[in-house]
Amino acid sequence: MTHDIHAYLAEFDDIPGTRVYTAKRARAGYQLNQFCMSLMKAENRERWKAGEDDYLAGWALSDDQKAAVKARDYNRLLDLGGNIYFLAKIFSTDGISFAEAVSTMTDMDFPTYRQMMMNGGRPPQGNRSIKGGW
Amino acid sequence: MARITAGIASSHVPLLGVAVDQGKSRDDYFGPIFAGYDWTREWLAASTPDVVLLVYNDHASAFDANIIPTFAIGCGERFRPADEGWGPRPVPEVIGHPDLAWHIAQSLILDDFDMTIINEMDVDHGLTVPLSMMFGQPAAWPVRVIPLAVNVVTYPVPSGNRCWALGEAIARAVASFPDDLNVQVWGTGGMSHQLQGPRAGLLNREWDNRFMDLLIGDSQAARAIPHIEYLRETGSEGIEMVMWLIMRGALGARTRLRHRHYHIPCSNTAIGHLVLEPTE
Repeated sequence: MTHDIHAYLAEFDDIPGTRVYTAKRARAGYQLNQFCMSLMKAENRERWKAGEDDYLAGWALSDDQKAAVKARDYNRLLDLGGNIYFLAKIFSTDGISFAEAVSTMTDMDFPTYRQMMMNGGRPPQGNRSIKGGW
Repeated sequence: MARITAGIASSHVPLLGVAVDQGKSRDDYFGPIFAGYDWTREWLAASTPDVVLLVYNDHASAFDANIIPTFAIGCGERFRPADEGWGPRPVPEVIGHPDLAWHIAQSLILDDFDMTIINEMDVDHGLTVPLSMMFGQPAAWPVRVIPLAVNVVTYPVPSGNRCWALGEAIARAVASFPDDLNVQVWGTGGMSHQLQGPRAGLLNREWDNRFMDLLIGDSQAARAIPHIEYLRETGSEGIEMVMWLIMRGALGARTRLRHRHYHIPCSNTAIGHLVLEPTE
């Protein structure tokens, strides 16, 4: 196992279609993730549903982050430092299941994604390494 | 003296809790998953431990983005089921064992594991779903529970070797507790799953089963699996399997298999379940 943090982190960029939640992402997404966390409280969920813009105005998010939240663009939110367990507070508040929300990050619609899972899931073959293609 | 009598590994998918709470655990979708726990429920009913040290991870419930403990042990009297955004699960409060928990915490710190000590926290599906899988829907959980929360979300998460070594230190701590207690260690989470990005939905039946093989008998090979291998082979959330290694480490040099179950899929996730006992 490597103990060189640079080499350790560099390997994460070689995984196809995956954003590993590193310290860099945790820093960039701190306010975004704390905003998501606020939706754990029922009274905050009510305020959020009553007006997303007003609610977001109380949080120090970037314009990109705010736009991605409003668009429910979860891949973009991952790029902007969101973590899936925090982002789950948004789609839970929307009343969308974990599997359906997850499917929006793939190139499939939900019925197709669900069927892929029933058929054994996405195979690891070809999905382990960008550079190696294995 | 307290003694560790068994280890249990289990996935903790939140949808399994929904299935229990809504009475769907024997329908066509969930039936094959729950059938794989029948053996364990019967076995536990006949040999209920006094205390379960339950290794799990918090999913942005008790811990937000502010404080990220690598290893946190719950030393409180009781822990409420968390409101994860749609109200708390209708399950009993979790009753702790502060005497043993504080003993373990103190012993671990003297043994070079710098634990975070938690007195008050709510426990989410990571902890309550395994209890539901093993005990069904009792009015009160039949065991005391010591929660041990592991950061498997923000990288770097602890190495597999460190998790295994923590399990070994837990075994030493339990063995030095003077009361006669039957203790089990449960490692939860996994198996292969990825909940994010275009690669979401990745499952790896072969790798998962090789991993389960490595926990039976006297192999120590799983200690050396690097994070990148979990990530590549089992999806971004498959890293939760390092928590199984804390359970395995706590069982000593050699284990024997009592029960094994594997099923694909549950929502986005592969379900894995092991019951192991330590052997001389």
